[in-house]
Amino acid sequence: MAKAFTHGTADVKKQPGFAVIAAICIAVLYLPLMIIATYSFNAASNIGAAWKGFTIDWYASALQNREFYDAAILSIGLAFAAMVISTVLATAAALGTTRGKRWRGQTAAFVTLTTPLVIPEIVTGISLLAFFAAVAALIDINFGLGKLLIAHVTFCIPFAYLPIKARLEGMDETLENAAADLYATRWQTFRYVTLPLVVPGISSGAALAFIVSFDDFTITQLIAGPGETTLPLYIYTRIRRALTPEINAMCTLLLMISFIFIILSFAISKRRSQ
Amino acid sequence: MTEFQSSATSGSAVDMLGIVKDFDTFRAVDDVTLKIQPNEFFTLLGPSGCGKTTLLRLMAGFETPTTGSILLGTKDISRLPPNHRPINTVFQSYALFPHMTVAENIGFGLKMLGRSRSEIKVTVDEMLRLVRLEGRGDSLVTRLSGGQQQRVALARGLAPRPQILLLDEPLSALDLKLRQSMQIELKRLQAETGITFVFVTHDQEEALTMSDRIAVMNAGKVLQVGSSRDIYEHPADRFVAGFIGETNFLQGDLEAVDGMSGTVRLKNGVRVSAGLSEEAPRHGAITIVIRPEHIEITDVGAAGSIAATVATVVYFGTDTHIHTHLADGTPVIIRQQNRRDGSRAPQTNALIGLVLPLGASQVLRD
Ligand SMILES: Nc1ncnc2c1ncn2[C@@H]1O[C@H](COP(=O)(O)OP(=O)(O)OP(=O)(O)O)[C@@H](O)[C@H]1O
Ligand SMILES: [Mg+2]
Repeated sequence: MAKAFTHGTADVKKQPGFAVIAAICIAVLYLPLMIIATYSFNAASNIGAAWKGFTIDWYASALQNREFYDAAILSIGLAFAAMVISTVLATAAALGTTRGKRWRGQTAAFVTLTTPLVIPEIVTGISLLAFFAAVAALIDINFGLGKLLIAHVTFCIPFAYLPIKARLEGMDETLENAAADLYATRWQTFRYVTLPLVVPGISSGAALAFIVSFDDFTITQLIAGPGETTLPLYIYTRIRRALTPEINAMCTLLLMISFIFIILSFAISKRRSQ
Repeated sequence: MTEFQSSATSGSAVDMLGIVKDFDTFRAVDDVTLKIQPNEFFTLLGPSGCGKTTLLRLMAGFETPTTGSILLGTKDISRLPPNHRPINTVFQSYALFPHMTVAENIGFGLKMLGRSRSEIKVTVDEMLRLVRLEGRGDSLVTRLSGGQQQRVALARGLAPRPQILLLDEPLSALDLKLRQSMQIELKRLQAETGITFVFVTHDQEEALTMSDRIAVMNAGKVLQVGSSRDIYEHPADRFVAGFIGETNFLQGDLEAVDGMSGTVRLKNGVRVSAGLSEEAPRHGAITIVIRPEHIEITDVGAAGSIAATVATVVYFGTDTHIHTHLADGTPVIIRQQNRRDGSRAPQTNALIGLVLPLGASQVLRD
């Protein structure tokens, strides 16, 4: 009762039709995922077949599939490296755009950092492709996987940057003043005060970066060289062959990895901010 | 507590010399010169926005002066970063590190100074005792009450034994009762540690009761520096007089000057003797100021008295405030202590005589 008054606005949950709209949204979002997950346990040998009984054979065959296994390792490794590099860069960028005196071009820097979010992936992908071709024409070095890593770091940075920046902006700068007042050098202030307090932002930024890299398809498809098959690319090539529920099992595993990361980052920020 | 005695032995603890601080075109601090003595409880008093915090931030090193210099002893510290100044701050918002325990907060300065673990522990325990938080060292600061957080902030500022402790309105977030007990606590801590305190407040009563000396500020300028008694009884100008306590202003002409006092002919012809500070004018039309409790009431027409009409009489328990006005309409308030032997207070609309005793009034500077 008192709550309704203090909020001042009508409670959206009490509006007519809210329940129906919410149910439709949830169904559209999660029903397909549930069907994929459920049918990964289907004993039928065709993806579209009716329910034939419960089995975990498809998981066994997916995990024993050498190609799937290699693709998963590549994807996890790539996503992890892209996450670490982009989070470090994003943290530095967030500090530069939220701390200290305002500088000329600060807004320009912010825009530069965040516009990749709204640039169509296909455009980013093709421009990276052209860029690497130009570089290769100039200097004769085979970057190999490095190209993929650079591409992933590029589009991961804004995702890592935004939560870290939000956290820094929400943090009282007086705390950093207090540390300096108590004889901390700039580095000590960062190490003992800023960093511990900004960890929740960093962990959500890192988790986002990991997931964005882990399930990227369009850009990776354009950049990846022969043999550099990430998990999404592998699954895509698989759908063109005979479709068995093994593909469901693979998708479900992909989904699980993403979920684990989200939950992990959520737990870290929850624990840190108490 | 001898180990706490401040190391400064002679001269000022801090000298602010001709400090000006501009923010773009806005002058927040305007040519301030202050000499703060060692072991002093020094207060900056002034209304909101007058530049008190800016002055503290200049001393702490969060701002650099546009012109002027800040001396600590004989050393110019104007351009040193905060971590190189032996000056600590108690922030208005406390600014305790929320991810650390009480002990970690208090020990932070010593840790940054590279002191040994055992020394930090000894000092932290000592500080906890000093601010009466024994046994709370392992609590998270976020679990403490406002008054306890305040004390942690104090202990954190005192632990590295700075030469100066700056306190920016440290009591303004506390309720009245807690504030009063913390005022006493602060005085005790200052006396026990021998550290110079520079205390900021906009509460004139707090300033009067706590300070050795007060600097009254307005619009970036320091208007008067002096003991509580000086400031209260001999305000230098209209702003200081009006800002601190209730007061009366009377117009007149300065007729004769005799050293530190002068004879003033008030508008209604009555002559009074008023104090003259060095900056006060020596002739012409002037304003004198007198505190309500210094005015005496007598019968109308008594020699040397000013005739006044009583407008309202307000009873306050310990004293009574009598609002009157003179023949020309000038309002005058008189405060009388209430006595046990009944009402000596005049009635509304009564005609009374006011006497300004020798030396009770002061000629203003402006
Ligand atoms: N960084 C800044 N940039 C621009 N103006 C500033 C800055 N800091 C302070 N000021 C201005 O300087 C003036 C003095 O500010 P200051 O914070 O020193 O006042 P104060 O006396 O501490 O007031 P209060 O009692 O409200 O805390 C104010 O008008 C404020 O707007
Ligand atoms: Mg202030």
